[in-house]
Amino acid sequence: MNAFNLDIDSKQTTFWHSLAPRTRILCALIMVFAIALTPNGRWWTWAIYGSVILGIVFFSRVTKRVMLKRIAVEFAFIGTVLLGTLFREGGEIVWSWGFLRITTEGLTVLGSVTIKALLSLLMLNILTLTTSVPALLNALTALRVPPLLVATLASMYRYVGVMMREFQAMRTAAASRNLSRNNVWQRFVIGNMMGTLFIRTYERGERVYQAMLSRGYRGVPIVEKVPSGGRRDILVLTITVVLALLGQSIYLTQ
Amino acid sequence: MHHNPIVIENLTYAYPDGTKALNNINLAIEAGEKLALIGANGSGKSTLQLHLNGIILPQSGKIKVGKWWVDEDNLREIRNFVGLVFQNPDNQLFMPTVWDDVAFGPKNCGWQEQELTQRVEQAMLMVDIDPSYYAARNTENLSGGEKKRIAIAGVLAMKPEVLVLDEPSAQLDPRSRRHLIELLKSLTITQLIATHDLDMALEICDRTVVLSQGQIVYDGATEKIMSNPNFLLEHSLESPLCYSRPYCSLRDC
Repeated sequence: MNAFNLDIDSKQTTFWHSLAPRTRILCALIMVFAIALTPNGRWWTWAIYGSVILGIVFFSRVTKRVMLKRIAVEFAFIGTVLLGTLFREGGEIVWSWGFLRITTEGLTVLGSVTIKALLSLLMLNILTLTTSVPALLNALTALRVPPLLVATLASMYRYVGVMMREFQAMRTAAASRNLSRNNVWQRFVIGNMMGTLFIRTYERGERVYQAMLSRGYRGVPIVEKVPSGGRRDILVLTITVVLALLGQSIYLTQ
Repeated sequence: MHHNPIVIENLTYAYPDGTKALNNINLAIEAGEKLALIGANGSGKSTLQLHLNGIILPQSGKIKVGKWWVDEDNLREIRNFVGLVFQNPDNQLFMPTVWDDVAFGPKNCGWQEQELTQRVEQAMLMVDIDPSYYAARNTENLSGGEKKRIAIAGVLAMKPEVLVLDEPSAQLDPRSRRHLIELLKSLTITQLIATHDLDMALEICDRTVVLSQGQIVYDGATEKIMSNPNFLLEHSLESPLCYSRPYCSLRDC
């Protein structure tokens, strides 16, 4: 649990990796928006987007096992939202039990939202697996995301590991004094640990801020100049936009 | 270099609940001096140090840092003049990579591009941290000794004239501690070191100030106070180890 490592595939050398992190973020965002804004039921559009994304999965040589594991965890959260879309009014009734009714409309929405979520998650997981967090943060700055927001993200990334270590240390300390009597008691103790962690985080935040002040911080992070992308980055962005539009255009003729 | 970098006159500080953390402190530090600040837990060492950088502003009394009085208007100059190294490097290394962290201070001072690179590299070399190996590394996955040295580099990169350190040798293994002592000895700038490590104080600092319940109870030669075990004991301290071993001569300390 100590090794907190998001970007296990960032050291590879493929065409995808040779792109500037900024371009990768933009490509991922264009794809995610194109996927999410497609109206329900346009399966062929997603088929095109899906094949593009599978192409990236293949060419960027990400570790598939880790990627699938992460998507599985993320899907557990999305699953609760998905379940709600199933019981929707409209269309023919396919199955009913008491007041629960599954309709064709509900199934279309469920299928569409599931595909949207799956494809978007695939894209974003490729991005985070192949790009180191500092590179992502620099890219966000280059994309004119407010510096204060980027600084907040940076310190979140910096301190997640510290907090996990602190929580682990508390758990070890509790276990060494024989914490395993029963479930209720254990939950009570873990709840207390979380509270303690929260207070410690607050105190640490204050001390970190003092350390920042003492090195001349005046409320606004300094933004560095970042070199602009090359011709290849522009080419890739153009291709992404064309593919996104191509996917949408299929249904225009009908 | 400024002739008299730090002058404190009648400084008093009380916590919101009325407890006096500092009581009528008078202290002058000369340029190039290495001064040890010792005292029990809660004797006011950290509070005094936070004053020198303007993190806490004087409630009553005055502090002069270089040619500036410590107040709201001079904070920028004061923070460039006095570098503060905090006890826990985890609180000080807050940027994702080593390079970003060392560059944090100089960037705030307005340095850019080549000059920035030069400053950062210079500071890293001063603390014996190889820029080509460490620059892109995550600040999280480093040893305690490395973290400490990088925290010092982050302060040195601002080219301060006074270095204020809070418990620099705490939680370091013997070898890292030795490296740190050699590093601090090699730096020629004025230093104010708060510590419980009296052996280190004896080795680095010629002058010692003892704080007890917010007051200065001793200000003078380090060797003189270290050889007075009764006085030290009275203020919750203890003679350095190298003094308490009869088979160890003073010269070897």
